[in-house]
Amino acid sequence: MNEMLTITIDGVECTCQKGEYLYDVATRNGIWIPVLCRSDAFDDHRACCRICIVEVEERGRRKVVTACVYPIEQECTVYTKSEKILEERAVIMALLAHRAPDSERMAEMNKFMGRSGFDRLISVDGEKCILCGLCVQACNSLGTGAISTVLRGTDKKVDTPYGNPSAFCVGCLSCANVCPTDAIEYTQTDTTRTIWNREFDLAFCEECGSLMGTTESVRHAAGEDSEVPSVCDACRKKKLADEMMQTYRYV
Amino acid sequence: MINGTERILVCCGTGCIANGALGVADAIQKELDARGLADDVKLDVSVVRTGCSGECEQGPIVRFMPRDLMYYRVKANDAAAIVDSLEGEPVQKLLFKKDGQTYEHMDDNPFYALQHKVVLKDVGVIDPLDINEYIARGGYEGLKKALTMTPDEIITEVEKSGLRGKGGAGFPTGRKWRTAAGYDVFPKYIVCNGDEGDPGAFMDGSTMEGSPHAVIEGMIIGALAIGAEEGVLYIRDEYALARDHIQRAIDAAYEAGILGDSIMGSDHKLDLSIVRGGGAFVCGESTALMASIEGRVGEPRAKYIRSVQRGLFDHPTVLNNVESLASIPTILRDGGEAYAQVGTERSKGTKVFAMVGKVKHTGLVEVPMGTTLRTLIYDIGGGIIDDRPFKAIQTGGPSGGCIPEELLDLPVDFDTLVEYGAMMGSGGMIVMDDRSCMVEVARYYVDFLCEESCGKCTPCREGLRQMRAILTDICEGRGKHGDIELLERIGRTMQDASLCALGRTAPNPVMTTIKFFRDEYEAHIERKECPAGVCAKLTQFAIDPEACTGCTMCSRACPAGAISGGRKETHVIDPHLCIACGSCREACRFNAVLTERRPA
Ligand SMILES: Cc1cc2nc3c(=O)[nH]c(=O)nc-3n(C[C@H](O)[C@H](O)[C@H](O)COP(=O)(O)O)c2cc1C
Ligand code: SF4
Ligand code: SF4
Ligand code: SF4
Ligand code: SF4
Ligand code: FES
Ligand code: FES
Repeated sequence: MNEMLTITIDGVECTCQKGEYLYDVATRNGIWIPVLCRSDAFDDHRACCRICIVEVEERGRRKVVTACVYPIEQECTVYTKSEKILEERAVIMALLAHRAPDSERMAEMNKFMGRSGFDRLISVDGEKCILCGLCVQACNSLGTGAISTVLRGTDKKVDTPYGNPSAFCVGCLSCANVCPTDAIEYTQTDTTRTIWNREFDLAFCEECGSLMGTTESVRHAAGEDSEVPSVCDACRKKKLADEMMQTYRYV
Repeated sequence: MINGTERILVCCGTGCIANGALGVADAIQKELDARGLADDVKLDVSVVRTGCSGECEQGPIVRFMPRDLMYYRVKANDAAAIVDSLEGEPVQKLLFKKDGQTYEHMDDNPFYALQHKVVLKDVGVIDPLDINEYIARGGYEGLKKALTMTPDEIITEVEKSGLRGKGGAGFPTGRKWRTAAGYDVFPKYIVCNGDEGDPGAFMDGSTMEGSPHAVIEGMIIGALAIGAEEGVLYIRDEYALARDHIQRAIDAAYEAGILGDSIMGSDHKLDLSIVRGGGAFVCGESTALMASIEGRVGEPRAKYIRSVQRGLFDHPTVLNNVESLASIPTILRDGGEAYAQVGTERSKGTKVFAMVGKVKHTGLVEVPMGTTLRTLIYDIGGGIIDDRPFKAIQTGGPSGGCIPEELLDLPVDFDTLVEYGAMMGSGGMIVMDDRSCMVEVARYYVDFLCEESCGKCTPCREGLRQMRAILTDICEGRGKHGDIELLERIGRTMQDASLCALGRTAPNPVMTTIKFFRDEYEAHIERKECPAGVCAKLTQFAIDPEACTGCTMCSRACPAGAISGGRKETHVIDPHLCIACGSCREACRFNAVLTERRPA
C-alpha cells in the first residue's frame, strides 16, 4: 500500500496516494482544472498545452506547475484560481485562440477566461490545430505511428513523414476523433475515405451492410495473424448466438 | 643562443585556423627543416599545434616556450624572422602593443594578466592530440588520486570545492553527484554536455579542442563517484574539430589503459562514446539532450522527476557541462579547498567567457568568479572599439539579458545578475556600443528562438511568435501604445508556465531591455524614432560635409551604390538608393556619417 497524504486544494482537504498526479486528485474531489493535451485514454501526458497550470506551495515556497503531470510527493497547498493563475491561464488561452483562429472551441474558451488586452495579437491564418499532440498519441497507441510532430519552433506541426501519404496509416480516424479542435480533415464518399492525403476503400458488413471502417483499418484491428472479418461486430455476435441456438436445438 | 628545448606553440584553434594558422605552422616547420634545426639532436626544437590561446582577434598567435615570447597576427611569410628570433631580438612588429607600450611576454599583456586559468590551463599550451603532453603537465593525476578514494570521498572533495554547474544553471556539482550515487539502479550514465548552442559562444568548443583529456578525465572521475560504467559526450553538430580531438583523445586513453575494462589497472571500468548533436539550440536542454541520445526527437519533457533519478534510458544519469567536467581533474589533484580559494562566497572558482562584439580584444578568457563586467570589458578587453560609448553587454545568450552601464560594477557570478533579471549564463558575452538598438537586439534573440526552440509547448512557441510580431512592428514603425505592457504579460507567462528552461528564460532579452532601455522602446513606439540609428524603416543617413575627408571608405562599403564623390571630395548619399543598412557609418573613421529620424 502506498503512503497516503493530505493536501489542500483551493481550501478543500483532499487525501491522495503519494505520487498521484495533482489533476487526478483535484478532479476526484470535484475541483475543476481545464485540460487540453491530457486524455484518460493514455497513461503518458505530453504536458504541452500548459492550460492546466496551478500554483503549489510546498515548505513555504510557491511555484507554478502543470497539474496533469505534477506528482504529489509531500504535503502542499494548491491554488487553482489565484490571480497569477487566472492571468497566466488567460494569456495561454489567448495565445491558443490566436494560434487556432478557426477553432470555435478555442474562441469560446478564450471568451470564458474573461480577460482583455489581446486584440493586438496576430492570428495564424486558417489554423485549427493547437498542437496538443493527442492525435499522435492516439495513432502511436494503435501501433500505426503514421503521424508525428515535425519541424520545430514556430513551424512545428503534425504531419506524415515529409507530408507524403503514409504507408502506415490505415484510415481509422482515431486521430480525427480524438482531436479537441476538429483540426484533422477527412472526406468520405460512398465507397472511399481520404485522410492525410491517402485514399482508402471503405469496408461494409456482408450481413447488415453497415460501415466497418476502411479495408486497412479492419485488417489492422484484426491483428496480423488473424483472418480479416467480413461482418461487423454486432453481426458476428448475432451469428454466433444463432449458431449456438442451432446447436442446442438439435441436441 | 638556443639552449636545449624550445617549443614553438602555434595556436591552431578554430579562430586562428580561420586566419591561416595551419599555413603559419607549416611555414615555421619548413624553416626549421631548412636550417637543420628540427633534426639537431643536441637541440629540441619543435612546432606544437595548440588549442585556442585566447586572444583570437589578434591571431594567429605564436608563442615560444620556455622563453615566453608571444607573437600576434602572424603570417606564413613571417616564418623566417620568427625562427631568427629563436636566438636574439624578438620580431618587434609581431609583438602586442597597447597605448604605446610593447609587450613581449604573455602575462604582461593586460588581456592575460588578470586571468586565472584552471579549465584553460593547458589550452593553448599543449598539443591536444598528444596525451603525453597532458600527462606531463599533471594530467590524470587527479584520476590517480580518485582511484585511491571511495566514491563518498571523491564527492566530498567536489562538494568542498563549491563547484557549481557552468552550463548556466549553477547547480552544485557535488550535490548532483551525491544524489545520483544514492540510487542503486544500474546501469548509470555520465553525460557531457558539449552542445554549446548560444550564438557567439565558443568556451566549450575551445576547451574540447584544446584540452580534450581534461574533459575525459573529469568524466572518468565523475563515473567513479556515481558508479557509472558508460558515458556519452554529446557534441554540437557544427563542432567537427572538437569531435575529432575528443575522439582521438578517447582512442589514446583506451590505448593507455585509462579507459576500458580496467581504468589504470584498477577493477573499475568505463566506456566513452560521442553522440553528434541534434542541431538545435534546444538540444542542449538536459531532457531534450537525453531524448536525442536515445534516438528520439530532441524535445524536453516535464522534469518533475529529475534525470539524476531517471535520465538516459530511464536510468540515473549525471549530465554535466564541458567546463564543469574540465574543472574536476584540478579539484581532485589539488584538493577542493584549493579550488575554493578563488571566487566569491557562493560562486567558487573560475569562469570561462567568450567575449565578442564591440570590444577591442575579443577572445576566450578565464577569470575568478566575481570579477566585474567593467574589468572584463575595459581591463581585459581593452575597452570599446574606437573608444565609442559603451551601451550594453549581453550575457548568457538567448536566455540571458542586456546589462547597462550602471550595472558594470556588479560581480559576475551565478546569483548577482539574476537579481537584476539577467544572468551570467554559460559564458557568452556580446559587448554593444551606442550604435546598437536594444529593441532590435531583443527581436534578434526572439527570432533566433522562434527557430531554435522545439515548439512543443504553448507559452514558448506561441509567446515567441507573438513577441516576434510585436517587436518587428515596433522596429518598423508600427508599434502601438500598450505594446510594452503586452510584451511583459506574455513574458511573465512564458517565465512561469513554459515546459522547459528555454521557454522560461526566453523572455529575458525582452524583459531586460524593457527594464533598462524602456526609453528606447518608447522612442520607437511614440516618436517612430530609432535613437541608435539602426532600424532601417525609421532611420535615414547623411554625410556631414564638415567631417567628411573624402577617404572613400563609405562608398566602397555601400552595397547599394548610393554614395557618390571622388577621392578627397565630400561624399553624398542618394536617399533614393540608400537602403539604410548602416555599412557606411561602420566604415567611416571620421564620424562623418550621421543618422536622423526618417520622416514618415
Ligand atoms: C535551452 C537550453 C540550452 C542549453 N544548452 C546547454 C549547452 O549547450 N551546454 C550545457 O552545458 N548546458 C546547456 N544547458 C543547461 C543544461 O540543461 C544542464 O543544466 C547542464 O548541462 C548541466 O550541467 P552543469 O550542471 O555542469 O552545468 C541548456 C539549457 C537549456 C534550457
Ligand atoms: S487515421 Fe491514420 S493517422 Fe489517423 S490514427 Fe488512424 S492510422 Fe493514425
Ligand atoms: S490535430 Fe488536433 S489532436 Fe492533433 S495536435 Fe492538432 S489539435 Fe491536437
Ligand atoms: S519551453 Fe520551448 S523549447 Fe521548452 S518545451 Fe516548450 S516549446 Fe519546447
Ligand atoms: S546606409 Fe547602407 S545603403 Fe545607405 S548609404 Fe550607407 S552603406 Fe549605402
Ligand atoms: S493538460 Fe496539462 S499541460 Fe496540457
Ligand atoms: S583560436 Fe587562436 S587565439 Fe583563439
